[in-house]
Amino acid sequence: MIGQPQRITLDEWDFRYAELCGQGMVEPSYGGPLRRHVDDGGDTRLLRLRYDDSAAALRLWNFLLTEEDRLREARAQEKLLVGAMKDLGTVPVMAYSAPNVVAFYPDGAWWIPCVMEMNAGLMSIASSLGLDETFCPVRAMVGAFVTQAHFPIPDMLTCSVGATCDDFSAIAQRLEGLGHPILWWEIPGRRKPDPDERAIALPGGFEAPACQVEFVQSELERVKAAISDLSGAPLGDEALCEGIRAANHIRRILSELRTLAFTAPKCPMPALEMLIAEMLAIHFCSDRDEAAVVLGELLDEARARVEAGVGVLGAEAVRVFWVNPVADLRVMNLLEDCGGRICGTEYLFAHALDAIPEDLPPMEALARMALADPMAGSSADRAERAIGDAGRFGSEAVLISRIPGASHCAYEGAVIGEMVKSRLGLPVVEVEVPPIADALMPTLRTRIEALIETVLAWRN
Amino acid sequence: MVSVGVDAGSRAIKIVLLDTGSREVVASGIVAQGVGCNDLANDLLRDLMERSGLGPGDVTRVVATGYARNMIDFADTTVTEITCHARGVHRVAPNAATVVEIGGQDSKLLRLGPGGSVRDFSMNDRCAAGTGRFLEVVADRLGVALDGLGPMAARSQRPASISSTCIVFAETEIIGLLSTGTSPDDIVAGVQNSIAIRIAAMAGRGVVAPVVFTGGVAIVPGMDRALESALGCPVSIAPNPQFTGALGAAIMAAA
Repeated sequence: MIGQPQRITLDEWDFRYAELCGQGMVEPSYGGPLRRHVDDGGDTRLLRLRYDDSAAALRLWNFLLTEEDRLREARAQEKLLVGAMKDLGTVPVMAYSAPNVVAFYPDGAWWIPCVMEMNAGLMSIASSLGLDETFCPVRAMVGAFVTQAHFPIPDMLTCSVGATCDDFSAIAQRLEGLGHPILWWEIPGRRKPDPDERAIALPGGFEAPACQVEFVQSELERVKAAISDLSGAPLGDEALCEGIRAANHIRRILSELRTLAFTAPKCPMPALEMLIAEMLAIHFCSDRDEAAVVLGELLDEARARVEAGVGVLGAEAVRVFWVNPVADLRVMNLLEDCGGRICGTEYLFAHALDAIPEDLPPMEALARMALADPMAGSSADRAERAIGDAGRFGSEAVLISRIPGASHCAYEGAVIGEMVKSRLGLPVVEVEVPPIADALMPTLRTRIEALIETVLAWRN
Repeated sequence: MVSVGVDAGSRAIKIVLLDTGSREVVASGIVAQGVGCNDLANDLLRDLMERSGLGPGDVTRVVATGYARNMIDFADTTVTEITCHARGVHRVAPNAATVVEIGGQDSKLLRLGPGGSVRDFSMNDRCAAGTGRFLEVVADRLGVALDGLGPMAARSQRPASISSTCIVFAETEIIGLLSTGTSPDDIVAGVQNSIAIRIAAMAGRGVVAPVVFTGGVAIVPGMDRALESALGCPVSIAPNPQFTGALGAAIMAAA
């Protein structure tokens, strides 16, 4: 018998945690009450958020917030750490295919200023190194490399460059200038094949000329060779195929979770937990196998809620398609506070949610996957995918969230917004969300409430 | 019996009383925004009610809108100013397809659907350079009253080009223009054009006529012409433009 799920505060989680323990909840080694991340880790933003009240959500949060511990433990166990920068789902698949290698996503430090409410000082350090507020908040990553308080210095750093965020390229170059050597691999801007070129199908329904796929494959071969050198064992096709199958297992879980969460009459999982879950697809939060377990539990919880006809929001909640991740997690709560729910997302890594082809040589499959990256294609391509998914999930409105200073989404919001309006006729609103959006909450609330009111008026 | 619409904006609080039977406006009033927004709104409402011969028992419902809508504790509910301006403008200009609303600290562009519903909207609430605040800064810098800006702009022979995208830097630019002998009339006209161009940029390519201009800035003479020039189509000013938000709120309270 499943109860009525709720979105609860951290204070309420204290009671809920005791309740779940009393019910015999079995926790993993990284388990424990959420509050400890505030008391011990300084993650004070948690005091301002609302969470799903399930044991599965608790495990998700604990998994996310203990990544630093996991990386230090890996280092202590003499595992090899690969920092896969500006890579949304390709190099980690390769790295986890090698023995004794753990990949992580240093760019993930962009959420530290939010989670720690600027108290880690990472932005100040970045500013002092010439990366001021005109850059994307991911500049916090450089601060994290300086303080070494959030992850160990990796044994190898990779970074894609080319058709990626200009800001990030500049930030990563600054990092290299600070003495952290980077293996750069190039990703070209994805283009449609010319009539005389052989067209290759990519995940997500896109196409690219064969020469682009071959080029990206050659770049990834360099990365593979470097990982092989690092681990001391050649990274063969068999291991890569196994790595791809494991990644696809996670992607399938996420795909089912997303479909359930976005299409159920009553939303079974809050927007915030869904955002965190989707992020796991990129980098597995430094433990691929555990990521699968965590997401599997979340899927089970969502499935049970849907079968029981219960949800964290009422059936009347307005169905919103969300474009781009937010720098301040609190804004995901705000959508629901205003009467909305997430029904479809395009968080800039939609390709990492698609299955990697398993019927191709693994390096070609990975090259195709890398080229399907939304950031490697045009804004119109992103809009096409958003339009398709918004239609599939029955979205009633589109919210485009800009990241201050991020060059990959400074102007594309207008392109996506115009295409969505003209093709689907849905109302669109753009918001800009800095790492701490408290001062903007009234204006953000007005925009989101107005979007909700607009949809409700249409319904009537 | 009356329904009440309260528009608690960033610069002023506006209230409209609407007869729930005839749907005619019974009274309206405005007071400058300040510390104690709720008390200011309460005092204004009490004054309007007394002058209209009404008592507390005559109020059916109160809807608050505007930036400070959540501070109005006597409101039954809140609705965003986007929805309220759309309803208010539709009431006074039923054919309006596009609404430009420029207030003290933000500006909005609304595309209307049937019955004054909002089809889509854009909003600038991050940059004061496209809002009434810009005009206040200019008036202050030039030492003239706000209502003196219109005649000044009308006298302009060659509107100055204001290139700064930030109100703080624009003020510096204005000082520079004054020091080089640019006439205050041309500066005021340049600032009006600058605001209008920002609105046009927000509108993009999809401005559908008829366009109705509302909000506090609509009462500043010359702004409508600047908007017409920037948008490339006729612009009409809503009757009592400062009150369309409160009117829309009162209409929603009566619904």
